[in-house]
Amino acid sequence: MSRHWVLGEFASSDALVAALKDLRAKGFEQLDAHTPFPVEETFEALGLKRSKLPLLALGAGLGGAGFAYVAQWFANAVDYPLDVGGRPLHSVPMNLPITFELGVLSAALTVFGALMVLFGFPHVTHPVFDVESFRSASVDGFWASVAVDAEDAPKVEAALRELGARQVSVVAEGAR
Amino acid sequence: MNTADPQVPAPGDPLTEHPLLVGRHSDLEYSESLLAYVHRPAGRTWWGLLGLGLAGTAVLAVAVGVTLFVGVGAWGNNIPVGWAFGITNFVWWIGIGHAGTLISAILLLFQEKWRGSINRFAEAMTLFAVTCAGLFPLLHLGRPWKFYWLVPYPSSLRAWPQFRSPLTWDIAAVGTYLTVSLLFWFLGLLPDLATARDTARTPRARFWYGLASLGWRGSARHWRQWRTGYLLLAGLATPLVVSVHTIVSFDFAVAQLPGWHTTVFPPYFVAGAVFSGFALVLTLLIPARKALGIEHVVTPLHLDNMAKVLLATGWMVAYGYLQEHFFAWFSANPYEQHVMEAQVSGPYAPLFWLQMFCNVAVPQLFWSARLRTNVAVLWVAALLINVGMWTERFLIVVSPLSMDFLPSSWAAYRPTWVDWSLLGGTVAFFGTAFLLFLKWVPPVPVSEVKELQREVDASLRFQREHERPTGGAP
Repeated sequence: MSRHWVLGEFASSDALVAALKDLRAKGFEQLDAHTPFPVEETFEALGLKRSKLPLLALGAGLGGAGFAYVAQWFANAVDYPLDVGGRPLHSVPMNLPITFELGVLSAALTVFGALMVLFGFPHVTHPVFDVESFRSASVDGFWASVAVDAEDAPKVEAALRELGARQVSVVAEGAR
Repeated sequence: MNTADPQVPAPGDPLTEHPLLVGRHSDLEYSESLLAYVHRPAGRTWWGLLGLGLAGTAVLAVAVGVTLFVGVGAWGNNIPVGWAFGITNFVWWIGIGHAGTLISAILLLFQEKWRGSINRFAEAMTLFAVTCAGLFPLLHLGRPWKFYWLVPYPSSLRAWPQFRSPLTWDIAAVGTYLTVSLLFWFLGLLPDLATARDTARTPRARFWYGLASLGWRGSARHWRQWRTGYLLLAGLATPLVVSVHTIVSFDFAVAQLPGWHTTVFPPYFVAGAVFSGFALVLTLLIPARKALGIEHVVTPLHLDNMAKVLLATGWMVAYGYLQEHFFAWFSANPYEQHVMEAQVSGPYAPLFWLQMFCNVAVPQLFWSARLRTNVAVLWVAALLINVGMWTERFLIVVSPLSMDFLPSSWAAYRPTWVDWSLLGGTVAFFGTAFLLFLKWVPPVPVSEVKELQREVDASLRFQREHERPTGGAP
């Protein structure tokens, strides 16, 4: 049984949000919205939870900074001590710039990497791209998508039309 | 009693009082007008400029080749002037990048809506400027192929880099800066690359934009995470605006040379960086907004705001000059005093007065609201500020070095043709990269403009719905 996506295009973000709320009330689980720009209300309508990204970034930042500090201390004070005019081998202020920069770097790399993993990118052949008119999702169309089993597709299709979708299409996973 | 009623529009909603978008355009119109230049075949001017840029880049290649083949001896550097053009150009270029990060990160966190139309330009500029900057310390190593010695790795030499030297800090700062700027830029670009894919007119363009957008489909789940991630990267880039040029200034401030060994350097360098960066953004934006036909999203208000930033940072830079000279005098240190005296009346005095004219006098034009939006005045002023800032970097690097403690070791500095070619060559390389950017990459964040338009619409609707009868002030 292959998964089907039922896609419906709405003319405005308000119509889309209303439709999403309605679909959710009707008990459809695997809903998504596709919009040309972030629409705050769709997040609420879909009941999306807060992102955990900030915590991850904090952890990675602290980890990177800690690693940088320890690496500098180990290199200059333990493994290869180099006396420069009698200055202390382990001096905290001199280690701070690199500690800070590496903290920022590892947090940024983690945020970007985590986003790519969460999005499942790169993924340029998602079934929704099979619908030619889905191009408008990045231009001026506000799309709702419902992932369902094949036998439920007609039901969702009807529901979307009833909600005033401009056009409705169905795509199947692995149809190509 | 005057309680705030949320149902009454606040007087002076900035979104409706000072329009950032000229006219009301639909999402489709924005998608088309903002991407028109990208999808159009290149015109004659573009090819002409690209040819010029490539010619200049060829000069850069020759100069780099000579430097690699002959060594740093091909430059005008001598003892005592060991840093000269190489470090001047490095500091200048890296400073220019800071405007991009300021516009894209700090103004995003402050929710300044006007950043939306210009941030893509500024960020692209950051990337190219940092690339140009990175070239100079690399060549300056003398043996650039051994650059990896600056990075700690367990080598068979059994030696580690010396982390108490600011040069190793530079590697971390510039490397982080370039990486974070690139990630931030690309993440912001993803939705617009998808728009470019979906409005592409040829299968080839569709293929390449499709590949570059990694499969962005505008999913709400993605937008949700994307927005958090974008804000996080903005937050991470924000301290970089301050830290990178601070670390660059440590290269000088940590040394004991008179004229360098001063605590004012970090803030003074950062202010100068933002100053020069905004000047370059204006230099490029003014012709580009006309050529690209995007004057409806890059409005006179944007130019006006940028001119105000120039005025403010111009004063910070002026304050830096004042402090530098004041502390030299106040220190009662004859070497410090001599370096500052020599700047005003010594062999490099014409450059000093050029710097004062470009960086302190010229920005004062922007007290006038009319001049702030006069594109010709603005463009010339921005160009002069670029020149002035380069002069400042040159004076900071060269004049203290050429006259340090012992008069017997003083020497003047003369750049060679290789020095000039490296400077001019990086400018040409920068221009080439910028032209390619204009042609290939959506130059204005389309999704952000649409989002702004929606907010403006909501504000206007709100105002209309709650319009009070005349004279009904609470």
